[in-house]
Amino acid sequence: MTQIARAAQIDCQHIRNFCIVAHIDHGKSTLADRLLEFTGTVTRREMKEQLLDDMDIERERGITIKARAVAMRFTFEGETYELNLIDTPGHVDFQYEVSRALACCEGAMLLVDAFQGVEAQTVANGYAAMDNNLAILPVINKIDLKHQRADEVAEEMEHSLGVDQDDVLRVSAKTGAGVQELAEAIVRRVPPPKGDPEAPLQAMVFDSHYDEFRGAITYVRMMNGTVRKGQKIRFLRAGMTREVIELGQFTPQRTARRQLQAGQVGYLICNIKALDDVNIGDTIVDAADENAVALQGYEEPKRMVYCGLYPSDGQDFSELRDALDKLAINDPSFEFEPESSEALGFGFRCGFLGLLHMEIVQQRLEQESDVDLVQTAPNVTYEVTKKNGEIISVHRPQEVPDLGDIEEFRQPIVRVNLLQPVEFVGPVMKLCQERRGVQHGTEYISTTRVMLTYDLPLAEVIYDLHDKLKSATRGYGTMDYELLGYFPADLVRLDILVNGKRVDALSVICNRGDADRRGRAVVKKLRSEISRHMFEIAVQAAIGSRVIARETVKAMRKNVTAKCYGGDISRKRKLWAKQKEGKKRMKSIGSVDIPQKAFMAVLDTGANEK
Amino acid sequence: MSDTAPIQTRQFPPPRAAYIHVPFCRRRCGYCTFTLLANRDDLIDRYLLALERELSLLGARQEIDTLFFGGGTPSHLPAEQLERLFEIVWKQFQLADGYECSLEANPADINAARMAVLRQYGVNRLSLGVQSFNAEKLRFLERDHTAGEIYQAFELARESIENVSLDLIFATPQDTPAAWRADLQQALSLSPAHISVYGLTIERGSTFWSRREKGVFASPEEDAERRLFEQAIDTLTQAGFEHYEVSNFAQPGARCRHNETYWRGGSYFAAGPGAARYVAGRRETNHRSTTTYLQRVLAGESPVAESERLAPPDLARERLVFALRMMEGVDITAFQNQTGFSIEEIAGRAVAQFVEWGLLSRTAGQLRLTREGLMVSDSMWERILAV
Repeated sequence: MTQIARAAQIDCQHIRNFCIVAHIDHGKSTLADRLLEFTGTVTRREMKEQLLDDMDIERERGITIKARAVAMRFTFEGETYELNLIDTPGHVDFQYEVSRALACCEGAMLLVDAFQGVEAQTVANGYAAMDNNLAILPVINKIDLKHQRADEVAEEMEHSLGVDQDDVLRVSAKTGAGVQELAEAIVRRVPPPKGDPEAPLQAMVFDSHYDEFRGAITYVRMMNGTVRKGQKIRFLRAGMTREVIELGQFTPQRTARRQLQAGQVGYLICNIKALDDVNIGDTIVDAADENAVALQGYEEPKRMVYCGLYPSDGQDFSELRDALDKLAINDPSFEFEPESSEALGFGFRCGFLGLLHMEIVQQRLEQESDVDLVQTAPNVTYEVTKKNGEIISVHRPQEVPDLGDIEEFRQPIVRVNLLQPVEFVGPVMKLCQERRGVQHGTEYISTTRVMLTYDLPLAEVIYDLHDKLKSATRGYGTMDYELLGYFPADLVRLDILVNGKRVDALSVICNRGDADRRGRAVVKKLRSEISRHMFEIAVQAAIGSRVIARETVKAMRKNVTAKCYGGDISRKRKLWAKQKEGKKRMKSIGSVDIPQKAFMAVLDTGANEK
Repeated sequence: MSDTAPIQTRQFPPPRAAYIHVPFCRRRCGYCTFTLLANRDDLIDRYLLALERELSLLGARQEIDTLFFGGGTPSHLPAEQLERLFEIVWKQFQLADGYECSLEANPADINAARMAVLRQYGVNRLSLGVQSFNAEKLRFLERDHTAGEIYQAFELARESIENVSLDLIFATPQDTPAAWRADLQQALSLSPAHISVYGLTIERGSTFWSRREKGVFASPEEDAERRLFEQAIDTLTQAGFEHYEVSNFAQPGARCRHNETYWRGGSYFAAGPGAARYVAGRRETNHRSTTTYLQRVLAGESPVAESERLAPPDLARERLVFALRMMEGVDITAFQNQTGFSIEEIAGRAVAQFVEWGLLSRTAGQLRLTREGLMVSDSMWERILAV
């Protein structure tokens, strides 16, 4: 009997689906590698370093962006089990993807570094796993470290996550110590999936990626029924019917199977040309099943952060569009639409799941295309109820209605968990209070580490909270957040004028109480970014028609070549022409050359001036 | 040539000017990045040989109106080699009636023997590299003469050559307004025919550059430097000098005609290492390394290192920029006749803006820099040249 046929026969009792929840750098990928190796799925020689993170950017940043699913075989007490490891993104921007991955598992490994201890992200995702009723396997990694403090960390896990210290497994993904016990614990402690291979087909889409030869590769967890090659299936949300051309499992490379049945995890290829037809959270059913029921929990990806991306030279517009199109094929959670700015010309308004997602997209754009970009300051989406009762979403400051038309201005508020050593609690509280945070709770997860919970405007979080937290805690602080909802606030649009001309791309939305400080900080920053011109430049911040801050870039006083004779003519002409070429990379507003990085100046919150 | 001749021919008549580069100096001053060799007088003979070879390529002897010996320091050549230099050049160029023949000289080089040679070969304009009368400033500039030597040299030079110009440098760390006033006054007290004042420019590659980078000394702030420049303009014009180009001041009738050719877009021959010529619409620059120049020329190869011919509109823009560096400015109609392009066509937007900002003034068919424009003119040229 062939391997393929055997694989199809496994029943739910012999399947374990689990994921690993961990903070960046706590060794998730290394542990996954060790499990692949231990189960003989991949030999050491085949093992590329950190096999699961196969995108360059992920490796550079040491984080996992896209979930992956790997099927392993493990024989224990004479029985062969299929262990499906579903990899989860480690970052808060990808929380929805995390939630879908969790919905596909019966167990979650909470992996914590034996030296660094519990981090905010571990707590957030740990609770999410518990909310999904997953069996929790607490694991301490890196016990080989010289400075490991596994006992204390076990205590921290008990306090912060409510796990029994006696249940905590201790491993070293590096040396392989404890991996056997871990594999056994997965079989023993993670319940087998429920589901009936004979029931009508229900499969959850939890991820996808784009293959340039095969089109969309859809990742599924089989909830009920069986899917076979050649079967006609329907994506309920997308309303799309397709034939299954290939199906199989990741081992970790794609391995074709004849069928996938309830409880299993695998992939489907069904000739889908665009990734945005594959909605994460969608339910796949049999095409002929008229009464099929969707699985719970589908949500549209929520873009939380928007920014404008403009080619710094207007001619590259179509090149930029091609580059964005290409990116969007592989990343349906990124969206963009053309927009134009008086200051920057034609470009795109782009929506991201969060700030990290934005950075990743930008980095890819730079790596994969030659377009020189001007990026406007990121902003969150606001909600406005107008006097006439109309409710609008505001994705960019220019869309804010006139002050007189606004009944209520609402902003997204997030609940932020900040976890740090006790001695940094003061500075972190100050940081949150400065950002209009409302304290929600304090929890000592051990004698040395405290978790603070604050409700904060998302806008304050995305700008620089993470960086500021890191510097306030000497790198030890970690944070995580979840959206609470939209709440009214006293918000205004702060405009920036350069020589009396409003530069639309520099407008920001901020709290009225912060407007003076922000305005002063921004114009000051702009003054230092804009070089002296042949004329004086006024840089002003204004709310409506009221100017609240002003700085002046003094006119250049002297810039004249003294010696210019026969031999200098060619040289000087070239030099002058070249200097102007250099300035073409800037945006010219009126006659003022504004360097690209000045468009990020509006992020300067003025917090350092207090 | 008639006004109906094609523009190309009108634009590029045969040169009536020539420049000879003499690349020798006693020493290199800290701010200098010119083509020169210090302490290599052993190469002078080979240089003269190469120069003769290069000039002979021009063919028949040409008549010219202006001739300029620059450097380096032409006056550094000993009298006998100076004589040979003139013999070589005179073989190629015939000076027309009313000619101007200039030579750059160091005060320390001026002696009776050299002056006799200059007079004998018809040099009628001397450009004296005085730089300052202030001992400390001269030391800073690494000049090899004292204030006393300047006076002696000047007196001696004036015995044979009426038309003497002085070079002065400002914007050194020593230049307080009072110190600079003293320099200007001392220069005026000699009643030279012409004065050039140069803001000290420290270019990459000079020893001053690295010393300033290391913080050994600081250049004056932009504002202070501007005040010094304005002080010079005001002092010299009040003393009766005409400010006719960014850095040049002349007694009535004593402008340097040779340099005016450069600024007006005229053609000129050139020979010697690093020398730049503009003949028949092509700009060429000889190799800047003296030794490479010698090797190439003596091996019968071309000494030209760079060569370019601009497209007509770019040429017109270049012409506009360099002509605007002359204080009397540009005759708008004449410019169009000479280049075939109106200023409106090639730089209309920039010029309109500069007029609006008070950097250029347009009166009686003439476009010229204002005082404000002069001070920031490099920034204006960028906008005219990069289209």
